[in-house]
Amino acid sequence: MYGIFMESWVIFKQYGGNGFMLVLFAAALIYLLIAEKDYRKKMVIGIAPLIVLLGFFVPFTRIAYVAILDDGADTYYRILWLLPMGVCIAYAGCKLFASHRRIGTVVVSALIILCGSIVYKNQYMQRAENLYHIPQVAIDVCDVISPKEGEPRVRAVFPEELVHFVRQYDTNIMMPYGRDIIAWKYYNAVHEAYENVETINAEELLAATRETKCRYIVMPKGRSIDVDLEEMGLTLIAEVDAYNIYEDPKMVN
Amino acid sequence: MIVLSVLALILWLFIIPMCMGLLLQGLLPYTKKTIGITFLCGFILSFAVFEVVSIPCMILLKYGAFKMCVRVFGACEILLSALGVFLTAKRVRKKVRDGYVPRFSEDFRGGRIHTFMKLTFPGEEKADPSALISPRTDVRVMKVQYSLESYVFWGIFFLIVLFQLFMAVFMAPFDGDDAYYVVESLLAQQAGVMNTILPYTGSSTSLDLRHAMAVFTMWEAFIAKVSGVHATIVCHSIMPLVLLPLVYLIYLEIGRILLAGKQAMVPIFMIFMSLFIMFGNTSIYTAETFLMMRTWQGKAMVSNFIIPLILWLFLWMFDDCRKPGYLWKEETAGGTRVIRNCSWVILFMVNMCAGIMSSMGIMFACGFTALLTFLLLIYTIDFKVIVKAALSIIPSVIYLLVYKSM
Repeated sequence: MYGIFMESWVIFKQYGGNGFMLVLFAAALIYLLIAEKDYRKKMVIGIAPLIVLLGFFVPFTRIAYVAILDDGADTYYRILWLLPMGVCIAYAGCKLFASHRRIGTVVVSALIILCGSIVYKNQYMQRAENLYHIPQVAIDVCDVISPKEGEPRVRAVFPEELVHFVRQYDTNIMMPYGRDIIAWKYYNAVHEAYENVETINAEELLAATRETKCRYIVMPKGRSIDVDLEEMGLTLIAEVDAYNIYEDPKMVN
Repeated sequence: MIVLSVLALILWLFIIPMCMGLLLQGLLPYTKKTIGITFLCGFILSFAVFEVVSIPCMILLKYGAFKMCVRVFGACEILLSALGVFLTAKRVRKKVRDGYVPRFSEDFRGGRIHTFMKLTFPGEEKADPSALISPRTDVRVMKVQYSLESYVFWGIFFLIVLFQLFMAVFMAPFDGDDAYYVVESLLAQQAGVMNTILPYTGSSTSLDLRHAMAVFTMWEAFIAKVSGVHATIVCHSIMPLVLLPLVYLIYLEIGRILLAGKQAMVPIFMIFMSLFIMFGNTSIYTAETFLMMRTWQGKAMVSNFIIPLILWLFLWMFDDCRKPGYLWKEETAGGTRVIRNCSWVILFMVNMCAGIMSSMGIMFACGFTALLTFLLLIYTIDFKVIVKAALSIIPSVIYLLVYKSM
């Protein structure tokens, strides 16, 4: 039981990140539990969050959650979504500084800013290159190989850094493996021959791509390969940014 | 073409939800008949109807499921919004014919549109001196005539939100799950299928009910289809422009109840909320990070739309507990049962919405409803709330039964 409690504690700390916002929330919650005289409000934004918080740390909650949900062990942190952290902090701030509104606005705003972390500095946040919010190079590559209206769908091999985006742009481009292989690392012959080797064996790669009927191979320029794909009979149809796009004539319908 | 797409987006994301909200407005008590709540109710109704239409289409039709879903749901939306407009027009006309004058302002000189707005959204009425001295009005929940300082605070809040909307369009968060969820929407738009093609590779697959029952991706595909805008653009660039303000509308209503009697504090509350949402990225797990980086995913909607909605509805229920009888009657059009219970009716629909967002959403919605109902029961010692809560989670129970039976 203690082990499960400690797991929940670790999840709680990970949820809070630097922890300052959790401290601010805890302070707001304690303040509301003491200072709020209206029981109706206290019940909803004081006692209910307290019960959720206690429930989160009770080992039985975690046991039940993991038993009910397939991915329960990985998503247990989502119970913390039931804590109205923003509402508690904002309301406590308003209540505390009701008669000093200007000072209160500055102080509480500063506390939120200093304790938090701005979302736009997140490492996964980048300047948008287009309205699709996917890298422009993925769009440019897809534009070269996308089938025209009425043409059959095509299958293409992409390097891992592009697999997330290809089908967000055009679902008429199929792939022998997708983003799932990065997450779950299952066996795929094309992926083995293309990504899991230092120097690509062109013969093995072509055997795998032809097996899965891949018409195109998108290859980063400078990728180490024992024999040039053009020498193996493929046609270099375009060079887009840092990628070469090869077409396999044997796979053209 | 672009102009037509923009007009279509305005129609399906703003006008139609607003008109559908008018349909539910008849259920709302006097002080809740505001533009914001009407718009919120419209979206809730729209999501609820989408669940009823899309899941049978997806399960029962092998071919052309999405096409059928678009046709039926589109027809339902148009029908319900037309009905909403018709009933509101009828209500307003009756008020005008009866010589009705909005209670707290007898000024009809604002012109026809002004009068129409007053009659359609009486909850927008500002409390004036006559209201403040009247024993028959609940000025705590009425909007106030804001001071200049409050307008400045409102201005700061709107600037923060505008900044967030600007950043939502010009910044691109990366999230691996988009390769699944956004592609599901795009597949529906481009291939006309509902969850029967594997998003990652394009191979055919059987219906994966765990993900498929959460049809929020299909709702986004519907918006993409009817507007002719690429589903990925709809998800990444359009959805935040609609869903972020929608989330703020919920917090506004929460603030209005919490700060009842101190309405001048509401803009300050909203400034804190907007800053908290922007600076809540303390880890990749927080609800705020989900809202700002995955706005278009059902999970983000569970944490930032469904849960705050339930919180608001229970604050509303608690708030109604101790209203004096005369006030209660005034607000609820003579104490009509359906109006008195309208927060439960909306909770019923919110439970329907939870299902379309995520299969986990129904569990959270039910659990949170149960917890707050328990507290409401302790506070009111009225056992009827158990029955009402049980009725309100019926959609989630049906959802679970369908999920388990497949």
